Amino acid sequence: MEFLFGLIVLVVVVVLSVWIYIVRQGDAEFEFLVDQRTEFTLVDMTENTATFSCKVPFVNKGTQDGTIMDAYTRHLLPYEQYDGVEVNSRLELETAPRTDGYFEALIVPKTTGQAVIVTVKLTAKNGNIREALGQMVDMPIDIVYQIVARSEWYITKNRLVMKSQEIAKAAGLKRAV
Amino acid sequence: MAELELKPVRTRILTPEDNIVDAIIEYAQDDIGPDDIVSVAESVVAITQGQATRPEELKPSFLAKVMCRFVPQKGSLSSCYGMQAAINAEGQWRVFFAMIMGFLAKIIGKDGVFYELAGRQAALIDDVTGTMPPFDKHIVYGPDNPNGVAEEIKSRLGCFGAAVADVNDLKRAAVLGISSGLDPERLAQILIDNPFGNASQRTPIVIIKNYGKVEAAAQAKALG
Repeated sequence: MEFLFGLIVLVVVVVLSVWIYIVRQGDAEFEFLVDQRTEFTLVDMTENTATFSCKVPFVNKGTQDGTIMDAYTRHLLPYEQYDGVEVNSRLELETAPRTDGYFEALIVPKTTGQAVIVTVKLTAKNGNIREALGQMVDMPIDIVYQIVARSEWYITKNRLVMKSQEIAKAAGLKRAV
Repeated sequence: MAELELKPVRTRILTPEDNIVDAIIEYAQDDIGPDDIVSVAESVVAITQGQATRPEELKPSFLAKVMCRFVPQKGSLSSCYGMQAAINAEGQWRVFFAMIMGFLAKIIGKDGVFYELAGRQAALIDDVTGTMPPFDKHIVYGPDNPNGVAEEIKSRLGCFGAAVADVNDLKRAAVLGISSGLDPERLAQILIDNPFGNASQRTPIVIIKNYGKVEAAAQAKALG
């Protein structure tokens, strides 16, 4: 009986110790710091297109290394709100630029971070980007990312807003009132 | 007198649709002679064998979620998916037993026991980011039957020998599979500077030119 009791106590102690170890160990915790992004700047402009970009830092503020398996932009401009432009957007790692929209899985050590460059290309449906930008509305852009670390993978997002006045200013235009 | 020369061969990205020996024939046959050894990167062999999976395709067990917590962060089994991949390949009780023994061995100051006992795949699995795009989002297992692959390369290419090697930029080289008559330690030394290059260079094949001649000359010299 004493042996059985001792065994049960031992199992409980081991289970509790492992649980405390895991809780104390923690996990990776990522955030794209959209409130610390730079202003959108004009990268390229033609008769019917304008391309803007900004830099968005991200950080793993957790207690474990983690991997960004994938990251991409999701712009939100329904035609009900504004039908003047077609939008293409992508992001790339600042330190490993590429234009194919592919995000190479990246290990981010705990308490460190880097930055991504978000690029947005607007194409005027009527062929005149200056005119289209004059009517443009604020456009939310989600940065969607998939994380895997000690725990199971998950997908989450942080949202920035590309302000119409900001890009009009970057393009050197005066906004229509 | 002939000298060893390492000749990396650039290829397209090889996928599970490819056969590694056919790929060697396609990209390197004209450069391979009877005194040469053909070495191939183990991760690319594994990928062509379909030995890769995505984390999304795995369902980590409770055991995997707990055991991965005891693997150092840099290890491929430190995520529950890497650990689950090892469990799928080697069996959960084997990996669990190896974990317990490895833990006990660490207490008395002996490292590496877990990987000795957990099975070949536990030591060879590359977690996500371990391989170049588009397989950077995959867990890549070690190659299946690497000795058989090496023998097939030798027999179809008519070369001096062949090897399947795991080499990295940290001066670590291991020959996982080799055709008969070759010394894996010697080949590992030859490949230690990672002639396969980094992932983006896409050179999964390295021809070790003149190996047969150089070895024959060395033997003749040793015999006086």
